Amino acid sequence: MSVARSRRAASEHLTGWAFVTPATLVIGLFGAAPIVWSIVLSFQHASFGPGGKFAGLSNYRELVHDPTVRQAMENTLVYTAAFVPLTMIVGLGLAVAMNRKIRFISVYRTAAYVTMAVSTINEALIFLWLFDPTYGIVNWFTGLFGLPAQPWLNSPHEALAVIVVMTVWGWTGFAVIIYLAALQGIPQTVLDAATMDGASGWATFRRVTVPLLSPASLFLAVWLTINALQLFDEVFVTTQGGPVGATTVIVYYIFQQGFQYFNLGYASAIALILLIITLLVTAIQFRVGRRYVHYRS
Amino acid sequence: MLLIMDNKRTRSGGRSGGVPGIRRRIGSRLGRCGIALGLAAAGFVACSGGTAGASGKVTISIWEGYTTTEAKTFSHLVKQYEKAHPNVTVSVLYVNNTDTLTKVQTALAGGTPPDIAYIFGSWAPNVAQMSQVVNLTKVVKRPGVHWDDFFVGERDVATVGKRVVGIPALVDNLAVVYNKTLFQQAHLAFPTPNWTWNQFEADAATLTDHAKKQFGTAYVTPQSEDAVWHWEVLLWEAGGHLLTRGDKAAAFDSPAGLRTLNLLRQMAVVQHSVYLDPTDMEYTNIFNSGKIGMLVTGPWDLASFPNVHYGVQIMPSFPGSSGGHQTISGPDNWVIFNNGASHVSAAEKFVLWLTAPAQVKYFSLHTGDLPIRSSVANSSGFLQQMNAKLPGVSAFVQNLKNVKQARPQIPSYSRISTVLANMVISVLVGSAMPKQALETASQKVDQILQSGSSG
Repeated sequence: MSVARSRRAASEHLTGWAFVTPATLVIGLFGAAPIVWSIVLSFQHASFGPGGKFAGLSNYRELVHDPTVRQAMENTLVYTAAFVPLTMIVGLGLAVAMNRKIRFISVYRTAAYVTMAVSTINEALIFLWLFDPTYGIVNWFTGLFGLPAQPWLNSPHEALAVIVVMTVWGWTGFAVIIYLAALQGIPQTVLDAATMDGASGWATFRRVTVPLLSPASLFLAVWLTINALQLFDEVFVTTQGGPVGATTVIVYYIFQQGFQYFNLGYASAIALILLIITLLVTAIQFRVGRRYVHYRS
Repeated sequence: MLLIMDNKRTRSGGRSGGVPGIRRRIGSRLGRCGIALGLAAAGFVACSGGTAGASGKVTISIWEGYTTTEAKTFSHLVKQYEKAHPNVTVSVLYVNNTDTLTKVQTALAGGTPPDIAYIFGSWAPNVAQMSQVVNLTKVVKRPGVHWDDFFVGERDVATVGKRVVGIPALVDNLAVVYNKTLFQQAHLAFPTPNWTWNQFEADAATLTDHAKKQFGTAYVTPQSEDAVWHWEVLLWEAGGHLLTRGDKAAAFDSPAGLRTLNLLRQMAVVQHSVYLDPTDMEYTNIFNSGKIGMLVTGPWDLASFPNVHYGVQIMPSFPGSSGGHQTISGPDNWVIFNNGASHVSAAEKFVLWLTAPAQVKYFSLHTGDLPIRSSVANSSGFLQQMNAKLPGVSAFVQNLKNVKQARPQIPSYSRISTVLANMVISVLVGSAMPKQALETASQKVDQILQSGSSG
């Protein structure tokens, strides 16, 4: 290797580092450092300010026996298991319906996406009203069919379901956009070939379209799951974890421990467990997904 | 929408502090009227004794969470003070009250706390643990301060153990606001000062008309302190106590506790006379629409009821109980941090001036906030002036003398509060029976008190 060449290579290296260093520093400072710090905190009995005492594994031992942690885990998993598939199914349905040339299609597409643009506070206020046990439209509507009025957010059995509906509505626009893009990437020739082979519309959808959408589905499943495990805003604005703990999800409990009870060490320990769970679930999704995801060559 | 969001924000703020007081700041209409209240300039001369520190100019920093009318009134007072004390500059920083404690703690860690901060009363136990908090025990005994002039509920919350950690900044309390029109339509007599919970319950049942979607009363159901302090006042009226003396164990699993939860269950589950509000805010609109007969609430809600011909009555009592008609209050404090002797001295002088009768009166008359001093509440013509601006508020001022005790002053209160919220709500929504709910909650509270740990 000539001297000139190695010099050029070194200067290219330098240029490369010059480009990535600012971003690396920012991510390191505001992303990695807090994570490392919260890991340190999770081994302490700490509040805000100085004076955290080393506590070994006691925070972790405690969370294993904390009934609220268990309840919050259960609530989070039930929520995730309902929210992710529902959002994907509703999103796919709407995307398919909109993947055609009809009048005002751009209006419909915008309308579907608008749910993403609405702030959580507004979304929550709207749903609080819709599901108000006495004055809400939902009970009025079901009452037309002779169904009894439900307490919704006042019921330990129904409150989480209302949060699911609220968030599915909020995230559907996102799923629609992803699926629409994926649908438009499916070549017409493939669909035409299926039709010529005598496949019905449903068979084409099931055997051709859905498999070809699998990369988008995997992305959505992972993305929505990560968000579902971190559910917080809707709970904070509406039920504050109630009634009777029915909507206390993990991140809400972390918030309670950290910012209401000032147990930063304990809150960090739960947060770390959540991080590990999220990583595990995501890894499983990718592994399982590999079997079902078909990329067009 | 913006207004509602704003409202919600401060509200949820109040709740998330674990906390008390439900600081819903309705930018009360008083100040907006812009009416000069004819306070003699002489009122401000009350501070004449307080000159600035001898060492020359000093700037004191203060963190407060006032908005709208309160902010304007506060800033006016600050200007007055600076004019009278040319050597002192008061640097004011707005901090959302919900965040103040964590921000102060962070600032303490960084070595730059404010000189003065407005801090929720329920955080007084946390404040007491901070090393840089100025002990005001001797300060409040200085001549001219008249510590006894502050209401007992305020003094209790400003004191942790025997140490005074703050000077009262705000006070409120709960009373019953009722819709006079609905009472008349139902041929019911208006509540009187010696009414009982039996009457309340019967009136609530009579005022309920499900066909009209009309309820006797309301209760909020999010898992927050708002659901708790409405119950704690019942417990005290029934003659019960939340914790044993010395805050060592739960004491509410008692006949008094059972009486309160039975009452709530009777109204909410059996008679369905309670509108259970999952939003913790819509009850005001519904009351203002004439769909709720009685609300147990504080003065901050009055400005939200322009469409209702309402009256205000003190809390009912439980027949045969020694608790009487007492109420509960959620006071907040001004807390001073040690940034060196000259700052502490200047900060103390400013806070004492701010909470002196003349300034308290000015602040109340301009904002509609209750006066934190009894001498102001009793001053001649004061009640009429308050009432002229905000009808019914005088009843809350008079109700301050019914504040007999404060919630436990312990750092674990916010965790106890969550347990109590679950207990009360489980009875209200019918998922637990009173006795069983009391037992479960009592055990959990005992665990919290014994362990002092997180879970």
